[in-house]
Amino acid sequence: MADPLDSGDDIFDRLKKGVDPKLQEEKTRLANERELAQVEKAQRRLGELIQDNSTLPTTISSIRILNATNTRKGFLDRIFNPIISANQDRPYTLAEAIREVSIGADKLHKLDVFHEPISLFIDRPSHTEPSMTPTDIDIYLSVVEKSRFKFKTGTDIGNAEGSAYVHGLARNIFGGAESLNVNASFGTRTRSAYQASFETPILSNPDLRWEFGGLASSTQKPWSSHEEVLKGGWTKLRWMAPGGGMHELGYNGVWRQITGLASNASPTVRRDAGDSVKSSLTHTWVKDRRDNPQLPTRGYLNKSTLELAGWGPLQGDVAFGKAEVEAQGAIPVPIPGIQGESGVSLTTGLRAGLLFPLPLGTEAESKPSRINDRFQLGGPTDVRGFRLSGLGPRDGIDSLGGDVYAAGSANLLFPIPRVGKDKPFRFQLFANGGRLLALKESEIEGTDGEKVKQTLAPTIAELGNGLPSMAAGFGLVYAHPVARFELNFSLPLVLRRGEDGRKGLQFGIGINML
Amino acid sequence: MPQDADAKSEERPKPSRSKTQARETSPQWFTTPQPIRRLFDKFPLRIYSLNELPQRSPRNRENNTLWIFTTNEGAQLGAPSFNPGCLKWQAYMIFKGIDFVPISSNNHASPTGALPFLLPASSTKNPLEAVLPIPSTRIERWVREKKVNTEKTGRPPDEGLEAKNQHVEASVSTKQKSTSKESSDMRYEAYMSLLNYRIRNAYLYSLYLSPPNFASIVLPLYVNPSTSNTLARVALSHQLRAAAETELLKQSPTIDVEATYRDCDKAFEALSELLGDDEFFYGEEVPGLFDASVFAYTHVLLDEDLDWKHTRLREGLEQYGNLVEHQKSIVEGWFGDNASGRSRSHKKA
Repeated sequence: MADPLDSGDDIFDRLKKGVDPKLQEEKTRLANERELAQVEKAQRRLGELIQDNSTLPTTISSIRILNATNTRKGFLDRIFNPIISANQDRPYTLAEAIREVSIGADKLHKLDVFHEPISLFIDRPSHTEPSMTPTDIDIYLSVVEKSRFKFKTGTDIGNAEGSAYVHGLARNIFGGAESLNVNASFGTRTRSAYQASFETPILSNPDLRWEFGGLASSTQKPWSSHEEVLKGGWTKLRWMAPGGGMHELGYNGVWRQITGLASNASPTVRRDAGDSVKSSLTHTWVKDRRDNPQLPTRGYLNKSTLELAGWGPLQGDVAFGKAEVEAQGAIPVPIPGIQGESGVSLTTGLRAGLLFPLPLGTEAESKPSRINDRFQLGGPTDVRGFRLSGLGPRDGIDSLGGDVYAAGSANLLFPIPRVGKDKPFRFQLFANGGRLLALKESEIEGTDGEKVKQTLAPTIAELGNGLPSMAAGFGLVYAHPVARFELNFSLPLVLRRGEDGRKGLQFGIGINML
Repeated sequence: MPQDADAKSEERPKPSRSKTQARETSPQWFTTPQPIRRLFDKFPLRIYSLNELPQRSPRNRENNTLWIFTTNEGAQLGAPSFNPGCLKWQAYMIFKGIDFVPISSNNHASPTGALPFLLPASSTKNPLEAVLPIPSTRIERWVREKKVNTEKTGRPPDEGLEAKNQHVEASVSTKQKSTSKESSDMRYEAYMSLLNYRIRNAYLYSLYLSPPNFASIVLPLYVNPSTSNTLARVALSHQLRAAAETELLKQSPTIDVEATYRDCDKAFEALSELLGDDEFFYGEEVPGLFDASVFAYTHVLLDEDLDWKHTRLREGLEQYGNLVEHQKSIVEGWFGDNASGRSRSHKKA
């Protein structure tokens, strides 16, 4: 409040003091309420109007999208043409017409080409043309296109890795909501990564998309003393299932090189050094019903991933089947004496995976798995209280990964006093554990299928042999919209000899934490 | 990116490419108070036995292993490697009566970026303890020290410890020369350079840059075992050819094919004169490192199993009967019919 007369004058001082802050608060509150009531009333009136006329026969004579200058007409036609009454065998009621149009608008919104909100106008055409019927309405959708090109550079620090990146995005390239993503990053662990992908909706359907892309990268794997160089490409088809699940069916072809071995790399890593080509089909299904992916208080996530590599016509140098499942659930915990949501919640997670060798192409014998195909487990984003890839078989200093794993976690989250349950901060108590095992050596002679089965059963049985490797602790959680940050103190409870437990503080950043 | 095959000589190794950082050891900012440390020491509460190794992990840790270019069957039979750089040290170790198992590998596995390298047997006490690999440049010394240790103590030394010592010593001491008779010869270095430059250059050209030989030897032996994927094979072939070309262009601004072959012929002539009527070079009773070095090239050029389409080098070598005899006597005497080669050589040594 900059008052030019405010120069120590008593009257003004008294006048100023006279304004009771409480009174002012009350005033603004009342004003807000009044405004809210007005908006509500207006909406109610509109609602009533539509309600009253909901059965009014309506024909949509045209739908016009305003300002969509860069979007192809044919592409939009596929969304809106079926709605136009000329293509319907009976007239709509007004309510139906509005519903149909908003479904169309919702599709536009999902295409990620236009800014929110998309405004809708209804107009009655002037009855000048002879073809007009009295029930005709015109629909106008006013959109604002998002910028077609986005370019971003920046630096990232996290999970003991620092990196710099360049990211380019071209939206709506051919006017059909196609997008091209180009990424390049250079870091301490991912030494270099280049990636480009092109994605397009199929038949203007935002829930059915096709993507293809390619990558070239070089990543340090310090937990097993090598560097992995990848060059490859993929293509994917993604669609939403009616039940709310997301499916993804893809093909990957990657040339992998294990190189740049550390001087003290183990014989196992040296044995796996060199080239291999993986040609695989993958299927992923995800159903995410959590209220917040980074800090869920209720809901569940189910996910399954299947990969088939090298089998039959797929060719390549490695052949295996790989299956992974993940389940996560969260429930709010009521605290007696606290009304409503207490902010306390319990989340549990379970992951398991299995890799079974298959005969390559037309060969009769299957080959054992390689280090870059096996699972790794341990670290701040899955089994906390262990170093990165700290679980499972080891050769000297190297984590070799395993063919079978199971891991589980239980976290009890509390709001932090004075910060409150509405802030994305929590205090957590956790216990987690898991086992990561290599397939046992087959001792029997027989056909290949029998051999694999013979090694699989005892390996899976071994999962339940003794307590799993476990750690427990407590820490702070911060849920940023894109990632979850944790700072935990933990102690390992149960270990296998050689496994790398971590006593003390551990910092973790993850998008999908166990 | 490492280049495959023998485009890199083991005589002139590139600086080590081991890029993987050492495990970070966080600095201790403060010392943990005693009671907390005592509490920490109680964890983990329970430790079970070791997890089993994956199926592909090499199990023969109690043997010395020499990682070379060879086929899987070749490794099982102990057959001579098809790569001169690897064959030289394979033959040398056989001559010296070192017990080892050959393992079929590729350059990515090597600490220097080029095969061969030796992984000494791990100590029996702790079979999973990391054993440092011995690159080809240090194999000669390793063999000498192993002999000395065995003579001194009368029992095999603790290999793991020895490897560590060597690692330290290597950075401190300068390269010592072999004390055997052959190296005391003033002309030894000159003859060695004939092999390492003239013969090697002609060999590199003939193998990688002569398309018929590339197709009949490099593709089936070096490229195809790496991957079954056609695109990756094309990329690897290109890399190999480019690496060979770079290697040759290091020594002269242009590649003069005729001169390269002529130099090689002259080198064979000089070696033939040096050998004379002796069974082995420098009149030794048993073959030594120089014999291994010569044999590495002569065997690869004369081996009937290798399908040389462009035979200029082989024909040039066949002019010198004593070199051919030298190759033959080593194959027969030390490698036998491939299968029994190593055990027989052992007896002889």
